[in-house]
Amino acid sequence: MAEGGLWPSAIYTRRPRAVAKHPMNTTWDPKVSVSDADLLLAFAQGNGQAARELTQRLLPRVLAQATRMLANPTEAEDVAQEAMLRLWKIAPDWRAGTAQVSTWLYQVTANLCTDRLRRRRGGVSLDQVAEPPDETPSVAARMQTQTRLRALSDALAELPERQATAVSLRHLEGLSNPEIAQIMDISVRSVESLTARGKRALAAILAGRKAELGYHDD
Amino acid sequence: MTDPNDDMLDDLFGQARNVAPEPSEALVARVLADAAAVRHAAATPKPTLLDRFFDMIGGWPAAGGLVAATLGGLWIGVAPPASVEDFTAAMLGEQVAVGILSSDTVFDMDPLADG
Repeated sequence: MAEGGLWPSAIYTRRPRAVAKHPMNTTWDPKVSVSDADLLLAFAQGNGQAARELTQRLLPRVLAQATRMLANPTEAEDVAQEAMLRLWKIAPDWRAGTAQVSTWLYQVTANLCTDRLRRRRGGVSLDQVAEPPDETPSVAARMQTQTRLRALSDALAELPERQATAVSLRHLEGLSNPEIAQIMDISVRSVESLTARGKRALAAILAGRKAELGYHDD
Repeated sequence: MTDPNDDMLDDLFGQARNVAPEPSEALVARVLADAAAVRHAAATPKPTLLDRFFDMIGGWPAAGGLVAATLGGLWIGVAPPASVEDFTAAMLGEQVAVGILSSDTVFDMDPLADG
């Protein structure tokens, strides 16, 4: 999988003691890794550079998660902006050691996406309206990919929210069951159950669109 | 034997995982603007009760006018100009003090005899 940056590497690096103790009074060396939590603390204490650093680290991952779940660039950008806004707002109340910033963001982004998916149920957005066929092979292939991703997103919208969240974290983000359990604050066994049921339900929903999506039984 | 629907699903998951859009400059700018707004709001001190009172009456200029009017009224009450006295006399009549008991009666009474 290409998402080596799903869990920011800085989380696993030991933070410099001086920065941890006095994030406000210290300007960090960009070459030295500082944890996301320390940056958030620095931001809460008025350091604007910390916001830029956090945005650089976290926004790509948040945007990717939202895009995979929603298959709509505009909606995904709105969700990513909202998730980051919630991060800025929670900064003064963030308690180091209680949760990882990345874990918290996975949860917030997933919740914002399932809210959007819920609203999508029953309504047909403009994105679902078929566009005129394009004869160029690469464009046609791209359109088929887009159609497939949209179909997957719409099928996720049909699932109960917890199943949709668990399936997306497991199969779209590639997280392990213990990581998902931590994000969703449930047991690993519950994660296994949710992902298994969710995957079966998705397969059933998409079975009827197999030919339309360009899959054929061989 | 694998379920063909599972194969389709695994392929869809794989295609979705390959999606990794780079945030546009516009999005980054929006996110940083939000951060600056939140930081600015947090840096602005919360108004005290006195601040809110001044805001309610219209700020320091209004408070200054209020104080001047109050002091002016007080001064007119303590040392009324002749024109004001004439006006109040015309409107309310002359002030007349009426004593029910004469001061002599009150203060010159003999102390009560013991027993």
